[in-house]
Order: sequence, then C-alpha cells, then structure tokens
Amino acid sequence: MDSSSTQEFEYLFKLLMIGDSGVGKSSLLLCFTSDSFEDLSPTIGVDFKVKYLTMEGKKLKLAIWDTAGQERFRTLTSSYYRGAQGIIMAYDVTRRETFTNLSEIWAKEIDLYSTNPECIKMLVGNKVDKEGDRVVTKKEGVDFARECGCLFIECSAKTRVNVQQCFEELVLKILDTPSLLAEGSKGNKKNIFKDKPSQTNATSSCC
Amino acid sequence: MEEQTFVSKARTAFHSAAAKAERVLLDFKSDREDHDKQSSPNTFTGQQPEAESPHTNENDSKLRSELKHIKWRPPHLGIKQDWQDRIKNIRRGRKEVEDTDKVGDASMAVPFYDDNLYLLNMKNDLEAKASEAIPSVESLTAATKDPIPPSSVLKQLAIAVEAGSKAKSMKDLIASSGVSSPARERAGLSFSAVKALVLREKEDKLTSEFTSNEKVVQLINSLFDPEGDFLRRKINSNLEETAMTSLPRDIHGAPPESLVVKLAEILGNYKTLRKMALFWCRVVAELRKLWSEEQYLPGVPQNEIPDLKSCLLYQHFQVINCCISRKRFRIIATESLDSMMMQANSDIKESTDCCAGAPASPVLYARLNSGELVLRLGADHPAGDMTLLETGEPVYSPITQEGPLLTEDLIRETEEFVLRTGSVGAGCSQLLSDMQAFKAANPGCILEDFVRWYSPPDWTDNEASTEDSDVFDSGEPLSTRGQLSQRMQKEGNLWRELWETSKPVPAVKQAPLFDEDLALEGILNAFEDIHPSDLFGQLFVSLLGLGFAIAEPMLSSNSDFSKLFYDCKEYIIVACQNNKLNEKVDDLVQVYETVEKMLLDPEEALKMIRQTEESTMVTGEPRSPFRTLSLIFGGKDKLLRKSVSKDQTNDEEKSGRQSFSSFFDSKSSLFGKKPPKSGFPSPSAKSSIDTGWTVV
Repeated sequence: MDSSSTQEFEYLFKLLMIGDSGVGKSSLLLCFTSDSFEDLSPTIGVDFKVKYLTMEGKKLKLAIWDTAGQERFRTLTSSYYRGAQGIIMAYDVTRRETFTNLSEIWAKEIDLYSTNPECIKMLVGNKVDKEGDRVVTKKEGVDFARECGCLFIECSAKTRVNVQQCFEELVLKILDTPSLLAEGSKGNKKNIFKDKPSQTNATSSCC
Repeated sequence: MEEQTFVSKARTAFHSAAAKAERVLLDFKSDREDHDKQSSPNTFTGQQPEAESPHTNENDSKLRSELKHIKWRPPHLGIKQDWQDRIKNIRRGRKEVEDTDKVGDASMAVPFYDDNLYLLNMKNDLEAKASEAIPSVESLTAATKDPIPPSSVLKQLAIAVEAGSKAKSMKDLIASSGVSSPARERAGLSFSAVKALVLREKEDKLTSEFTSNEKVVQLINSLFDPEGDFLRRKINSNLEETAMTSLPRDIHGAPPESLVVKLAEILGNYKTLRKMALFWCRVVAELRKLWSEEQYLPGVPQNEIPDLKSCLLYQHFQVINCCISRKRFRIIATESLDSMMMQANSDIKESTDCCAGAPASPVLYARLNSGELVLRLGADHPAGDMTLLETGEPVYSPITQEGPLLTEDLIRETEEFVLRTGSVGAGCSQLLSDMQAFKAANPGCILEDFVRWYSPPDWTDNEASTEDSDVFDSGEPLSTRGQLSQRMQKEGNLWRELWETSKPVPAVKQAPLFDEDLALEGILNAFEDIHPSDLFGQLFVSLLGLGFAIAEPMLSSNSDFSKLFYDCKEYIIVACQNNKLNEKVDDLVQVYETVEKMLLDPEEALKMIRQTEESTMVTGEPRSPFRTLSLIFGGKDKLLRKSVSKDQTNDEEKSGRQSFSSFFDSKSSLFGKKPPKSGFPSPSAKSSIDTGWTVV
C-alpha cells in the first residue's frame, strides 16, 4: 500500500468478506492483494486492505474489509455491512458446518445489516487444494448460490487457484450494475479519501 | 360634533394599526395610503347634514357585506392553510380594512352599533389567532379521527424543509426572525408603526414564554407519556407485517406509531418556523431530562441496536433507550457483584468462627491445583459441559461488555478513521475486555481454555492421545487435551500477546468499551445543532411513510384506486431514495394529497382518474407509473427550487469534523486508561513484523 497510496482512481468500491472463523478469509484477501499465502492469526474484529486495479478501462480503488468470524465480534463487524457494494460469503469445503452457517447465520446478517439492496453477493468455497478432505461438493455450492441469488466460485488461497478470478468476477458484476457504479463514482468526491496521511507507514496505538 | 369626529378617527386608527400589525411591510404602506384617502371623505361627509338619509341605505348594504365577511373567514382549528389560501387571506385582509373604515363612517349615525361590532371583531380575531397559533392536545387528538394525517401538516413540514435549507441552524432560525422584525419596523416612525412595534414587542415576550405555555407543556407531556395513546391511529393489522414495516424503511423514515412520527405531526401543526424551532428545543430539553432520570423514550424499542434503514433521528432515539438499558443493567450487575463479595467476606469470617466451609449458593468458587479456593467474579452461566484443562473445574461464560452503538454517521466516521490510520483498535479492545472477564470468572484458566470458549474452530481435540492412553478416566471429549490451531500457535500471535497482558477484571469493573454518557452528550449536542433541513426532512419522510402505511390496507383492495395508489407508492420510494429531498418535497406533497383524496373524497378522485385515463387515450401513449403522475400534477405550478448552497456544504463538512473529533476524543480517552504500549503496526507492516517477531 506504500507505493500506491497516492494513486489516482475514478471509482471507489467497498467489499466485505464474511463467514465462519478459520475458513480462510484473511488468506484469500492477502493472496489477492499481495499474491502470497500465509497461515494468518485469527482476525481480531475488523481488518482491511486496499487494492488498485483497472478493469474495463476504469481505474478502481477497492477497500476490502476483512471481518472476524467469531460470534463475539458480530456486533462490531455488523457496522461494516453499511454501504458495501460487494459481499463475499466464504466457507471451507472441508468443514460442512461453515457451509451450513452461511444460510443459518450469515445470510441473515446480510438481511439485517446491509443497507444496499442491490449489493452483489458471491459465494466462495475455499481450501479446494485439500480435495481428499472435501465434504461439501461443488454442486451443493452451485445450488445454494442459485437459491441465494449470488455468484459462485471455488478457490484455494494456498495454491492461488481462482483467487484473482473471484474478486474480478465480483467487481465486474458491480461495474455492470448502474446504481452501484454511481455510488462508486459518488464516493470519489469525498475529500477525506483524497487526503492521504503524511506518513505512509503511520502507526497508531491500540489497547 | 367635533368631539365625535375625533373619537371616530381614534378608533379607526387603532383598529387599522392592530390589523396592519399582522401584515408585511408592503401591505402596510399600501394600506396607509388607503387610510389617508378614507379620512378626507369622512370629514367632508360630516359637514353636510342633509345627506343623512342616504347613509341609512349605505348602512344596510354594509351590514350585508359584514355578514359576507364573517362567512369568508371561518376558523380552521389547528390546521395549516396552503400558500394560495395565504394569498387569499391577504386580499381579504385588505377588504377587511376597507370595511372597517366604512364602519367608522357609519359611526356618525349609529355610534352604539359601531361599539358592538368593534368588540365582536376584536374578540373573533383574538380567538382565531390564539386557536391557530398554538396547536393543543385537544386539537391534535381530534385530528387523529382522520384516517391519515392531513396533507396540510405535511405541507408545513415541506415549507420548513425548503426554508430550513437557507438557515444555518435551528438557533439561527429562532434568532433571525426575532432580530430582523423590529429593525424593519423602525424604518417607519408613524403612529401606526409605533403601534405595530409595541404589538411585536408583546409577541417577543409571548415567544420567550413559549416553553412554559400551558398547551406546549401538555403537548410535551402527551408526547412522552409511555402509557398514553396520544396521536394513535387505527392501522389495519390484517395486511402482512412485512408490507407494513417495509415502506418506512425503504424511504429511510421511521416506524409507524414511533416517537419520530408523532413529533413530525406535532411540528407540522405549528404555523411558523420559529415556533417549530422553539418546540424542537423544548423536546431536546425533555430528552436531557429523561436521560438524567434514566427514563425510556416511548415509541422507541428499549434495547435494540440502531436500525440503519431508519432515519438518523430514529437511530439516535434507539441509542438513547439502549444506553438507558445498559446503565440499568450495569447498576444491577455491579450491585450483584458487590453483594457477592460482601457475602464472600462474611463467609470467610463465619468459616473462621464456626469452621463451616460450605459457601452460600450465590457465591461461586473455583479450586486451583494448589487446593486454594478462589472467588469467581462476573460469572454468568456454565459454558456447556466444558471444564478447565489444568484444574478440571467447570468453565463459566462471563458477563461481557457490549460493543459500541453506532449510528450511520458514526459508522461512516469509524470506517474513514480506520482507513486513514490503519487502526484496528476496536477489535483488540473488545478481545482484551473479554479475556479479562473470562479470567475473572475462571480462576486457573489458560489461553487454550479461552480459545475453546471464544473461537472453537481454533481448538482441535487430540484424538491420538485418546486412542493410545488408558490413563484418562474421563469419558468427556472436551476434557482430553488437544491443541491450538496452527495459526493460533504462530510466533507473535496477537491473541497470546493480549492474553499475557490481560488481568482478571470482571466486565462491570472494566473501563467501558462504549461510554454511554459521552455518546448521549454527543447525540443531544447534535440535536441542538441539527441543521433545520436535516430535521424537518427526516420528519417529513417519516410522516409520509405513516400516511402510506395506513392507507395501503384501505386502498389496496379497492379496485378503483389500487393501481393509482401503488403508482404513488412506487413514486415516493424512488424519490426518497434519491438524496436530493429538497427538490422533491413539493411533488411528494402532491402525491400525498392524491392519496388523501382517494380516502376522503373518493368520488372526486374517481373523476380525476377518469379524466387522466381519457387524456392518456387521447394522446395514444402507453401508460406508465410516472407518466400517470405527470398528467395528474403537470398542471400545477411548482415553487422555485434551489440547490444546496456552498455555505450549507461547508456547514455539513464542519459538522462532520466536529463529530469526527468527538469520536477521536472518545478513543483517546479509552486508550489513555490503559498502560502505555509501543505503537501497533499498521496492517501493511503487520505481516512482515509478524514474520520476524521474536518473543524474548
């Protein structure tokens, strides 16, 4: 983020990643933004990363919010649903509970807290590199996505399979939605996003 | 003769002055000229006694005109008239002045009649003025017999939205109307002008006594009465609940029957912006009083986090009630903890005296490996059948602190703050708080115990050891040792850092994650400094939503009107979701009037629909929802619309910054209470530092 903090952009989109703890949300995000894999410590509350890219001739800035999946953090993370143009619902193909909870818990959270009726949702099955341990079939994922009205893809943060495609497909869908495109353009006019902190490696104390 | 003439002139002048006091400067000048003209004929007529018999005939005709005058101005209690009626009133006012002058002429022949007529007019004017100026509980209660709030109420809110966009704040709205009027009056120092000035000074005194006015006090009491049914209308509950609640949220309004909607209806009944602003200040004062007394706001849920799909005003009301709930709970929890500790102390004394070691039931202990009994603090309930790994004691879920109550404006600020600074402090604060509460409730626990409770996916039971070992007698799988997930075992894992830092402190004794007093002070200050167009805009939308929510079950089953009604509904949803409400209020009022007409005057509404259909057929164009509405409203003139001024934009930015700094102060206060610690790296640097981190 250091070298690109002053990069120009035409559209700003907010993406949100939700799902049970341990399915690999943070690893997916790290893979997309840094093209690397790491078994990251559990996210505490909320984290975010920024990614600049150009698609369909448009310069985009993506603010991608990574949320902790633990139940105790749910009130804190619920704030970040507001105004998101894209939401990634992640599960682990080797743990059926994480798939079941998408409809039991996370879809309800979206209904409760999302303020954007046209936001694009994407179902993401992670850890397909562990094919031997798979317990959720691709067909089950496809059926759930169709029922839920969202995009679907399977990927692996460890082997980097389909990670770029995952985010790009989501962004393409957002670009195809006029109201979301307008929101992204409107957000660009806020001065606060153009004011960058003087220190690119700014740190702040917490706890 | 000369004396009578003088008295007549005095009466005429006094009455004219009183009447003119209610009019704008332009009318004042024009009427003065008329008055001067009238004076001359009066004197001339007085000098010709022979003309008395024609005056008798004139008296008859004047009497008839007076009767017409009475019919022209029937009083409308508590109902605001629209702009066109205002113009008509101004014209009638001029006629009234002429009639009054003529009556003055008549006093030459019939002095007694003139006295009675004068007193009657004065009385009527005062009564009408008093009734119209101040809405009362009685008048508003009577209005609830109408199926939906009158469109005049919504129209007054629309006027306030448009006028409010020019003012800078509610206080400016009050101050400007007070200061400018006397200055204008000083321009003309005639006798009439002085009289008008005196009357206006009286009005100023009346305004300063506004808050203690009996009717205002009654309105405030009824509005905040939790048991009362003030402003409650019949809402047909046969319709699906989803449809009933979805419309107000789609247009970012407030739920029907909520405090916001009732407030909107009261404010819409006031005639002047100044009184609307004064009533709002009175409401804010009442909110402060309720908060200090820890009394809930009626018409708002008592313990729900803010509903981001409702208007910001409603979200703030939700926060107020939620903070009251939290304060009450903390008091109860603190008293419970204190009494437990006192009982534990007394138990220790008793055991010393009587050697009885059995503790009382409400006091919970945990036994350490050393055999020592330690008091559990802030334990809520057992966590299933989990037991601590090292001591074998049951695991208790602790009472934990609740997270921040964020309205949409604070969420936006929080998000921007995190994006700017890279701070993830909120999550760490909560995790640390939970760890401390867990330690206080589970003496002898280790990080693995906390993870098993907090983040079950990060714990794996050791199946191999279970299979191999016969030593473990316990058959419970949770009791067998396992291990943390690989990611949780990493070097430099922040969870372990926080765990080592945390002390056993029950939640009610911790520094608050969310300071209710600070939050409420921010909200109440925001209420006092709220921009008029922001306030009246939210009230306008909320009242609009109420009207449609009530009308829907009545009209949806009506074959004549259901199509038009749903067209109107779709229109308002689209219009309200657009951010430029100021440009839409006039159209929305007209749409509302259409719905009102369908309910109150179905025949005329039916004619209008048929005319519209005929027009559509003539043009040969296909019908569409908005085309239909355009045909209905196309013929009406619309007020000039003005875009948001630069000053307003600056005010909005300033307001945002103030709230932002307030949020930052809150965070500083929170962090300041903890021991100093080296700066936490930003997310971009976090990965590299984690990799190279070495625990000394």
